[in-house]
Amino acid sequence: MENILSILVFFPAIAGLLGFVVDKESARAYGITVAAIEFLLSVWLWFSFDTANAGMQFVELIPIIPDFGISYYLGVDGISLFIILMATLMTLIGMMSMSITENIKNMIITLLFLEMTMVGVFVSLDAIIFYLFWELSLVPMLYIIGAWGGPLRVYAAVKFFLYTFTGSLIMLVGMLFVAYVYHNLTGVWSFAITDWYALVLPVNYQLWLFAAFFVGFAIKVPMFPFHTWLPYAHGQAPTIGSVILAAVLLKMGTYGFVRFSLPMFPDASVMAIMPIAALSIVMIIYTAMVAYAQKDMKQVIAYSSVSHMGIIMLGIFAMNAEGISGSVFQMLSHGIVSGALFMLVGVIYDRRHTKLMSEFGGLASVMPKYAVIFGIMLMASVGLPLTIGFVGEFLVLLGFYHVSPVLTALAGTSIIIGAIYMLTLFKKSFFGPVTNEANKTLKDLSSKETWSLVPLVLIVVWLGVYPKPVLAPIDNSVKAMLAFMDAKAITQEAKDMIKVSKTTLNRGEVK
Amino acid sequence: METLVYIALFAPFASSLFAALFGMSPKQTFVGIVASLLLFASFCASAMLAFHVWTTGAGIHVTMMDWISAGDLHIPFGFVVDQVSVTMMTVVTLVSTVVHVYSIGYMDHDKSFNRFFSYLSAFVFSMMILVMSDNFAGLFIGWEGVGVCSWLLIGFWYHKEDVSREENPSISPSWAANEAFIMNRIADLGMLIGLFILYWNVGSLQYDVVFAALPDLSGSVLNAAAIALFIGAMGKSAQFPLHTWLTDAMEGPTPVSALIHAATMVTAGVFLVIRANPLFSMTPEVSYFIAALGTFVAFFAASMALVNRDLKRIIAFSTLSQLGYMFAAAGLGAYWIALFHLAAHAFFKALLFLGAGNVMHAMHDELDIFKMGGLKKAMKWTYIYMGVASLALAGIPPFAGFFSKDAIIETAFNEGTLFLWVILVVTAGMTAFYSFRQVFLTFEGDERYKAFGIHPHEMYKYVLIAMSPLAILAVIAGFAQGTFEHFVTKLLPDYHMSEHTHHLSMMLGLIVLAFAVGGIVLAYRKYYKGLKRDKKLENSFTYKLLANQYYIPNLYEAIITKPYAMLSEMMWKDVDMKIVDATVDGIAKFLYKSGDASRKMQTGNLSNYLNWMAVGSVFLLVIAVISAMFV
Amino acid sequence: MIGLTHYLVISALIFSIGLMGVLRRRNLLMLFFATEVMLNAVNIAFAAISHYYNDLTGQMFAFFIIAIAASEVAVGLGILIVLYKKHGSLDLDDLANMKG
Repeated sequence: MENILSILVFFPAIAGLLGFVVDKESARAYGITVAAIEFLLSVWLWFSFDTANAGMQFVELIPIIPDFGISYYLGVDGISLFIILMATLMTLIGMMSMSITENIKNMIITLLFLEMTMVGVFVSLDAIIFYLFWELSLVPMLYIIGAWGGPLRVYAAVKFFLYTFTGSLIMLVGMLFVAYVYHNLTGVWSFAITDWYALVLPVNYQLWLFAAFFVGFAIKVPMFPFHTWLPYAHGQAPTIGSVILAAVLLKMGTYGFVRFSLPMFPDASVMAIMPIAALSIVMIIYTAMVAYAQKDMKQVIAYSSVSHMGIIMLGIFAMNAEGISGSVFQMLSHGIVSGALFMLVGVIYDRRHTKLMSEFGGLASVMPKYAVIFGIMLMASVGLPLTIGFVGEFLVLLGFYHVSPVLTALAGTSIIIGAIYMLTLFKKSFFGPVTNEANKTLKDLSSKETWSLVPLVLIVVWLGVYPKPVLAPIDNSVKAMLAFMDAKAITQEAKDMIKVSKTTLNRGEVK
Repeated sequence: METLVYIALFAPFASSLFAALFGMSPKQTFVGIVASLLLFASFCASAMLAFHVWTTGAGIHVTMMDWISAGDLHIPFGFVVDQVSVTMMTVVTLVSTVVHVYSIGYMDHDKSFNRFFSYLSAFVFSMMILVMSDNFAGLFIGWEGVGVCSWLLIGFWYHKEDVSREENPSISPSWAANEAFIMNRIADLGMLIGLFILYWNVGSLQYDVVFAALPDLSGSVLNAAAIALFIGAMGKSAQFPLHTWLTDAMEGPTPVSALIHAATMVTAGVFLVIRANPLFSMTPEVSYFIAALGTFVAFFAASMALVNRDLKRIIAFSTLSQLGYMFAAAGLGAYWIALFHLAAHAFFKALLFLGAGNVMHAMHDELDIFKMGGLKKAMKWTYIYMGVASLALAGIPPFAGFFSKDAIIETAFNEGTLFLWVILVVTAGMTAFYSFRQVFLTFEGDERYKAFGIHPHEMYKYVLIAMSPLAILAVIAGFAQGTFEHFVTKLLPDYHMSEHTHHLSMMLGLIVLAFAVGGIVLAYRKYYKGLKRDKKLENSFTYKLLANQYYIPNLYEAIITKPYAMLSEMMWKDVDMKIVDATVDGIAKFLYKSGDASRKMQTGNLSNYLNWMAVGSVFLLVIAVISAMFV
Repeated sequence: MIGLTHYLVISALIFSIGLMGVLRRRNLLMLFFATEVMLNAVNIAFAAISHYYNDLTGQMFAFFIIAIAASEVAVGLGILIVLYKKHGSLDLDDLANMKG
């Protein structure tokens, strides 16, 4: 299977198109089957992935507009591989747990289409193709929020769309400018990211381009102060929408930083460390506090999501393998944990049609299984060792300590305030006597819900105890990237700041 | 030998998983029995390992598998069994086995019996990781693991409602659980920073690598690392100002208080200082601070215990106070003495708590000692046990506490820190007083419980038998001092009293003893005959100050909890909604409005359009001319 | 001697007259005439410049413009007649159904 990446990208879309002829009653089963096949394909991709090779693998290159150097160019490395796996996994799990019955067929088709765009973003090595998938991913999400959302759904959907769209247009300008500079320097047009890597840009160009890309990515992450679309989107989106949004769509932003900003503009990235760290820390502390003030369970998790994304941002700009690998790992961890938490909130929302914590209390006595799984995910979210959440958070903080001890201490408060809002949420909803009559007869997790949540619990524990199968390939690619950045950097500060690991690494062929 | 290491480590884990299988089903006694047997297996393995280390004098080091490796960081799951860890393992597994058996009786009527054993064994597993790990990250796993188990167990009766602080100082089990977890997290941040400092200066987190590299590090790095690690220790061992969670943790079931909040988990901080002794012995200023803080906490906690009426809280304060003693010893460089007191304390304090559990069981969960009295008739064995434990705690020879505590006080004298010595001696007297105040109020005097219609009864016989190892150890453990010193000083730095102190040791011992006996006599005179309430005293400012824990919990609520909640609310409603989000919406509204306004240009009248067109063309021409002039 | 400048000045004057007509007139037919005037102003400029440079391209363009203007008049007048039949007036102020 040489075209595994193309298959991964287009299989869900084609299956989605075929979905139009599928009977309404069997749409769900059809969707789950397709998502399962897609997931198995991505697992197969993982198994056939050469973990010792730090470069791009399974590369496919078909020129589309050769005159402008635009080509259909796909490939994966350790950094993107696991995000793809997570995207396919979360789509599958999300579909399995989905409780929507209205217009189910449209939902399934939309999700499959969304899956194509998500996988597409993470495998693209051509800026135009990347941009195409990046923007296309907005459409299904707009539809999901706008069609199945809560009372404010249109406002939330439009806000989500316009906000992220504005950012990505600025990013597009940046991309076009890079291509223009590339043309000026080499005489040929190319939009291939790997070609762009080779480009050594003057520092002032780097700064402007960094800024252009930053706007696009930062809104997607979402970084403070561009985060306000997220609580609305989460608040109004149906459970499945929140799961995919938190698990995968946000990762596009942080992935963009790792894939574009760092290797292309190493000097500008080093100069941006302090501003970005400051923003990240504000984001970590401030949104955690806002999360504490929320009355609605889902909003708590939405804001906590922003706070955790701050940790990821911090790790990316640690400029050492510990921090960046930790950061990429934290992307996976955050995807799985926050996805699971949104699913868990969905479980209670399906039963009570409210998410206000004041409506609950004492759920642990009524729904023990639910409480156990919620508790595990909560602990993963606050970064308990031997759960997936710890590995990433620990590595990020460890890595960033090298940059600035004081800022690390500030960022480290996330382990305290994270515990504060999560435990408060848990206490308000699960502990205490059952006071609300409506809660006394609640049913515990159904088998459908259990079967979609248990795999996530297993992953949370497995990757917490033995993260090596995932962390090693990530680390390998990150080390290669850092060595490359160090070689490419022009300014002395950048060379000093970028820390190349002492361990020898196996550098794969890049193209 | 490796097999034994794994048995010792994983038997509690197996026990926890086994109990978890039945976690949601009604009580099954065999769950408790199986859990206790597995714990006993772990104890046997630990004891055999101890024997092995004793005979060969060499530790065992196993590496199970890799955990995290990224960049240049490599953290394995590695375990080391040496003199220090094997001591801790034996103590932990012994006390846990007793507590497991005890819990079969104590949790008899609880519907979450099976769940309890699952948590309890999980705690032991975490504690074993904590003491056995061969690197700081592994220690941190156990560190956080015991924190979570403590959270689960304090909040075990999660269904209880929140009440006001006046009614119950710990508000509710779930509140106390969260408080404990969050306070520990504050300290854990310090600990993490400590790990980062060590990693970036040494390049590894393995104990042996780190300790070997210490001499090459600068003084400021060493101090920073020592301070950061000690902040971690302060949280887990509930040292001031992070101490309030420990007394609130008494909301958990009593076996939990015995195991976690007396014998094992809270001593983890002391263990860390002992384990990292090469670091702390190179930072004398930090060590002195540790000793001073320990002494202060010893006195501070004892003062609060003097007037408390809650059976378990008194013991909790005494735990705090004894932890202070341990830190004083460790801070003064007498690491083996600290470890010795840790072990001895584990035995008698667990015994004391289990005895208190018997009383609670008999009194239907009543904890106010003012409502007890005269229980000795109904509960002879419990009285004996608690008496023995209190004698040990008060430091009366020949009980265990005498030897270990006396050694600590002597160390304070030996180091020339006379101020610390005086406080520790006075505290010893206070310790004796409050222990016996509690014993006498509970077991002697008039039978005040009758007014509340309670018919106390003795605990099950097997429970009493299960408690006996602790009682025996509380009596005899002190005699093992010499052997113990010989054993652990193979690893820990040996600490000897100077010639001068040695000469005075008899006299010093007598001074301490005089204070201890004095405290007991005072308690006897005041409380043996029965309770005489002294309203004037109880209304005095000092009494109220002590009874309300110096108002520190109220202070925390006023200056931390409430402002934090208010600030959060403000951040959300004022900053996030009114500034950040409003700006974004403002931009969108501006665009909408400008669109609305410019819509008026669209009059539909061709002539207007043509006018606009002309204006536009002129405008463009002007721009073109201007740009042509400048470029 | 009449030079290029004179032609261009005349052309600009005629163009301005046409432009004023376009801006001020309300009757569509008059607008039409005004545009024709503007086109022819341009034609004059083309012819003059063409002569000045001895390059026939300009005059060729003038012819093109005349041809296009003729066809434009043909189509435009047709539309005007239809409009008049429909609305009974050619006054621009009466024709505002594109109002936003």
